[in-house]
Amino acid sequence: MTDLKRKLEILADAAKYDASCASSGSHRKRDINGIGNTEGMGICHSYTPDGRCISLLKLLLTNVCIWDCSYCVSRRSSNVQRARFKVEEVVSLTMNFYKRNYIEGLFLSSGIIRSADYTMEQLVLVAKTLRDREHFGGYIHLKAVPGASQELLLEAGKYADRLSANIEMPVQDDLDKLAPEKTIGEIEQTMSDVKGGIDNAKDLTKRDGTAPAFARAGQSTQLVVGASESSDVVILSKAEQLYNRFKLRRVYYSAFSPASFTDTDLQARPATPPMREHRLYEADWLIRNYGFAAHEVTDGLDGGNLDLEKDPKLAWAIRHRQLFPVDVNRASKSLLLRIPGIGVRNVQRILNIRRYHRLKLDDLARLNVSLARAKWFIVTADHNPDVLRLDRANLPDVLKPRLVQPSLFEQSARASVAMGEL
Amino acid sequence: MQHVFIDGSFEDWRGAARVLLAGAVEPDNISWSAAMQQRHLFKARRNFGAVRNVNVPATFIDLAKTASCFDDPTRWSLLYRVVFRIVFENRHLLSVESDADVRRLNLMAKAVRRDVHKFHAFVRFRRAEFDGTEIFVAWHEPHHFTVELAAPFFARRFGSMNFSILTPKGCAHWDREELTFSEPAERASAPSSDETEDFWLLYYRSIFNPFRLKVNTMKRELPVRHWSTLPEAALIPELIRETRDK
Repeated sequence: MTDLKRKLEILADAAKYDASCASSGSHRKRDINGIGNTEGMGICHSYTPDGRCISLLKLLLTNVCIWDCSYCVSRRSSNVQRARFKVEEVVSLTMNFYKRNYIEGLFLSSGIIRSADYTMEQLVLVAKTLRDREHFGGYIHLKAVPGASQELLLEAGKYADRLSANIEMPVQDDLDKLAPEKTIGEIEQTMSDVKGGIDNAKDLTKRDGTAPAFARAGQSTQLVVGASESSDVVILSKAEQLYNRFKLRRVYYSAFSPASFTDTDLQARPATPPMREHRLYEADWLIRNYGFAAHEVTDGLDGGNLDLEKDPKLAWAIRHRQLFPVDVNRASKSLLLRIPGIGVRNVQRILNIRRYHRLKLDDLARLNVSLARAKWFIVTADHNPDVLRLDRANLPDVLKPRLVQPSLFEQSARASVAMGEL
Repeated sequence: MQHVFIDGSFEDWRGAARVLLAGAVEPDNISWSAAMQQRHLFKARRNFGAVRNVNVPATFIDLAKTASCFDDPTRWSLLYRVVFRIVFENRHLLSVESDADVRRLNLMAKAVRRDVHKFHAFVRFRRAEFDGTEIFVAWHEPHHFTVELAAPFFARRFGSMNFSILTPKGCAHWDREELTFSEPAERASAPSSDETEDFWLLYYRSIFNPFRLKVNTMKRELPVRHWSTLPEAALIPELIRETRDK
């Protein structure tokens, strides 16, 4: 195997723990002499048998790292094989892959070499070479290294469509135990610097009609779930805070699982059930798109964690049965959004249809509403016998076995075409 | 019963429908047939003469154009039934998405849009040289008649490269200036290898996370019928086997 192939193998393998693969939300016309553009919609060019999409060439510049985060494969004390790409190697892999339509662009991260600033400089150099020399117009996602200088972050934003600084843990106490070199304060300062760049570009656009591009697809972050004791209540309230304070586009959740590379202290921890990660994505989805506040999703939960057996919207509805049944022909949009089994798109369809036609159960079935869940909570123009059972004490149990495949997941999987993740 | 023969293009259907609507001909009294292959979906071939224009919502035209690329001979009669009902029954029919006809039309259009999206995603170019000129050539197998809908995307993105996309439903060619279309091609006309593919396969194998296996999720987004045109798909069976053996 050639040296370049060996590096690709090591540094792609080390990059796969970053869940983000979004390539949407950026618009860039192709340079007349260049290759590549972005048109807003993300594209998943392939899928691997783990169910995840390949939208970007996801690489670490190097897996050499001076930090020692115990959950991380590349941490200083890990005994994995190390490698480092030259800038030119990443540039040529990206261009060659892009020209063959394998990818939407590059997602470049890195272990910490020497210092945060030096590492950030190297990442910026790759992006700058792609943009300035190769006239590359495809998507670039760069890791924003926590603690990098504001100047470097602002330069990164000129070339990148997206920047992401991973928060890793919801509270400082967790970081102290598992990622001793990291502080929430430093990571949030990085997010704040990036937000400053984005806001500045927006203000300039408002004032002058145009401004140099700056991270047009915004910023995102990632949390490791289950490596620490923090519950879903803590995680979701942190996520909501990050959305509000830094206007993040996405928070990604990554279920912890002990592996051969894991620090010995963590080896003993059980793997986080994949369903927990899945429920967090659903709850996050409710917060971003359904008008739920984090505390509404988490109030009254046993042990502060989401119910693994029910999706969080259904669990919320069962806890708030006094608000139902909801008449689909009369209810407000915000109330329709709270009905289990009815998604955002169908709420809009229902609002359109009912101007001309009163909806019956059959109509909802034709819209692919999940009646298995919705029928307990709604009044339609025809007789709906199941709604009479809404107040029965055993409703939660009746609903359990029906939930073979949670529908919110279906939606987020479909949305991934537009957003490129999961 | 009135037999209407069209050349298989949307514009030809549109001309015929305009005449039929002017005569208020009931959908059930028409039998539609169309030529099998139609290269220029959106170019009119025939002149239907002066017929009073029938006004329909612009959203119908967009939806109908998309749905007309669906590979099913019944699409023409469905299109006519929907436009007939819009004109004579309810101008807002398309808003009633729970209506059975509207639903079917929407499902057809959705399948076509998905096919276009997968076209954009799954084309795999291979580099070739003809008379010293570099050209990128792909073999792709769309499910519906989506070559003309999907090709402009590649011209925008890869405008400084020469490329050809060959498919059994017609081909698209870009010479860095103009997009042209030609008759269906054979797979053997496309190159069978590319030096970068080794790296791509290595990347695919390395980015795969063997700690989780979600084969059905993968198949939903990467339907098996596309595997034969994707070089990386050849790795799927062994990756699954290796993971299960662990």
